[in-house]
Amino acid sequence: MARVNGRRLPWARTVFWLYVATLMLPLLWMFGMSIRPNEDILGSFSLVPQRVTFDNYATFFTDSAWYSSYLNSIVYTSLNAVLSLIVALPAAYAFSRFRFAGDKHLFFWLLTNRMAPPAVFLLPFFQIYQSVGLFDTHLGVAIAHMLFNVPLAVWILEGFMSGIPREIDETAAIDGYSLPRFFVRIFLPMIRSAIGVTLFFCFMFSWVELLIARTITSVNAKPIAATMTRTVSAAGVDWGLLATAGVLTIVPGAVVIWFVRNYIAKGFALGRV
Amino acid sequence: MLDWMVWTVPTALVFAGLALLLVVMAVWARLSPPVARRGFLRIETDRGDRLYIGLISAAVVLAGWIAISDLSMWLALGCALLVAVVIGIWG
Amino acid sequence: MSVAGGQVAGEVVTGEAPAEEEASRAPLKRRDNRAWWLVLPVVLSVAFTAVIPLMTVVNFSVQDVFSPVDRVFVGLEWFQSISRDPEVRAALVRTLLFSAQVLLLEIPLGVALAVVMPRRGAWVSVALVLVALPLLIPWNVVGTIWQIFARGDIGLGGWTINNVLGINFNYTLDPADAWITVLVMDVWHWTPLVALLAYAGLRSIPEPYFQAAQIDAASAWATFRHIQLPRLRGVLTIAILLRFMDSFMIYTEPFVVTGGGPGNATSFLSILLSKIAVGQFDVGPAAAFSLLYFLIVQVFCYVFFTVLTRSGR
Repeated sequence: MARVNGRRLPWARTVFWLYVATLMLPLLWMFGMSIRPNEDILGSFSLVPQRVTFDNYATFFTDSAWYSSYLNSIVYTSLNAVLSLIVALPAAYAFSRFRFAGDKHLFFWLLTNRMAPPAVFLLPFFQIYQSVGLFDTHLGVAIAHMLFNVPLAVWILEGFMSGIPREIDETAAIDGYSLPRFFVRIFLPMIRSAIGVTLFFCFMFSWVELLIARTITSVNAKPIAATMTRTVSAAGVDWGLLATAGVLTIVPGAVVIWFVRNYIAKGFALGRV
Repeated sequence: MLDWMVWTVPTALVFAGLALLLVVMAVWARLSPPVARRGFLRIETDRGDRLYIGLISAAVVLAGWIAISDLSMWLALGCALLVAVVIGIWG
Repeated sequence: MSVAGGQVAGEVVTGEAPAEEEASRAPLKRRDNRAWWLVLPVVLSVAFTAVIPLMTVVNFSVQDVFSPVDRVFVGLEWFQSISRDPEVRAALVRTLLFSAQVLLLEIPLGVALAVVMPRRGAWVSVALVLVALPLLIPWNVVGTIWQIFARGDIGLGGWTINNVLGINFNYTLDPADAWITVLVMDVWHWTPLVALLAYAGLRSIPEPYFQAAQIDAASAWATFRHIQLPRLRGVLTIAILLRFMDSFMIYTEPFVVTGGGPGNATSFLSILLSKIAVGQFDVGPAAAFSLLYFLIVQVFCYVFFTVLTRSGR
């Protein structure tokens, strides 16, 4: 195999890295914005920051309105990822191993919820979470986000589980393993990477969601995204602080993807679409 | 506790009807398992699929009717049911 | 809600020729209705997060609700007024137009990107992570990034257009500029998804195909047109469907950048809906709006799902 996938265009490499550079430009610009003083941002336009300051970061980590909402987001997002996973694991196993009445319709119905516009659920969510006492709690947001994360988790896990031969289940059953013991002792370790990928995506989608989280919280569980919309005041927008919050909200996702990057590559390798 | 769901008789009836439909389909599936076949929709469907397509199509007919026409909604309901039945039988 | 990156992993893993796969493994699956017990937690959790809310929306939609005890049954009045509301219709047209433009731009661009992406060597994983980066940014931050970047006074993009190209560009005042900003932002945000899917598709093409092309001394374009593109049909279907669904439900990014304005220029369906639901708290009309919106999505969803899973048969 002299050349994988045939002839490479001579300028392919250049075009690609040029695109990546363009992709990075807005990101770098936001980062640059976060490390200049506000007077410089509004004062004169310059490509490279004239003065570098970390005041905005200091403000972020000392003002409780900022860092507590950041923590709120991390708490409900993690909670949601764990809950979604626990609920989705047995179901994904059922879908990958058994045929049962209405299985296909159930699967489709789950996916439908994944594709429902969240705006549709705003009204009732507000009412429901208030009436059951989950309004403005971390658990409340975590449960609300299960709306789209549980179907997603089932879908991803089902895909991975179907790739594991059924003979393993049967052998374990012959060896005298009960289903729960087999599941925890043998099966779960085998799908470690799937669990990593699932947790990653659940974390990510809960983390990026704004509409629902904002609707069912007010103070105690307010997400960072909602706090960010309030940098607009009578005095104008605090661009530096907004950019700082923006940069910091990218961090958790970047950290998580760093840990699962090999699993995700594996996911690609597994599927010959 | 269920106050906030603001139930009304017509909507309760609609959901009861849907629930009943699901039960009927489940029982029917027990008595004679559904068979997939190809009808005028040109895709392979079993009766559960056709029920779903039929209901969605009926809803589309109702929504389209209310958006465009001033004629009675009972007439629309009749058309919608007709569509659902046609899809259910020959789809 | 976007299906987004999730499907990168989910779809790629499960997406291998569904028809074929099913045929080969269906007989192996045991028929056992006790499996329902395993699915029960999912059904209960989704019932709480989806079914009960949806029922409530249906109840809202036929009443004028002042409070849980003070309400009037109005029949289908809200459905009629919403479906004939010119503002809603304009938003529907706008959203469809936006989706169409998104598809026209992102699909070719994504495929082109996948073609030029490195396939071997140490840079592959770096390239993958860098390309995927926009998908991992919280949506409101994507909005923030572009809100800053496209500003004429403090943003590199807006400043360049205004001062280097000499074109007057202001997305907070000019409807066309606002539209372009939102569109470019979406291309920036989601083209990587198309690229990653197409990339996975390209990598799956067996080597002999290319060797044959080399023997025939086919040009790069001919190789692409006759070997790579046809093999991409499956992934591209997925990409098109995903991008359609997501752009049809777009909310957070334009909300942050333009808030639907200037005027109504970027007021898409979900922005208008949440304005009525949360902003004005018009429960009845908002509920009717939600249901009509949901119906449209359901129809597309089913058609897409059918196309995806049954086209092979």
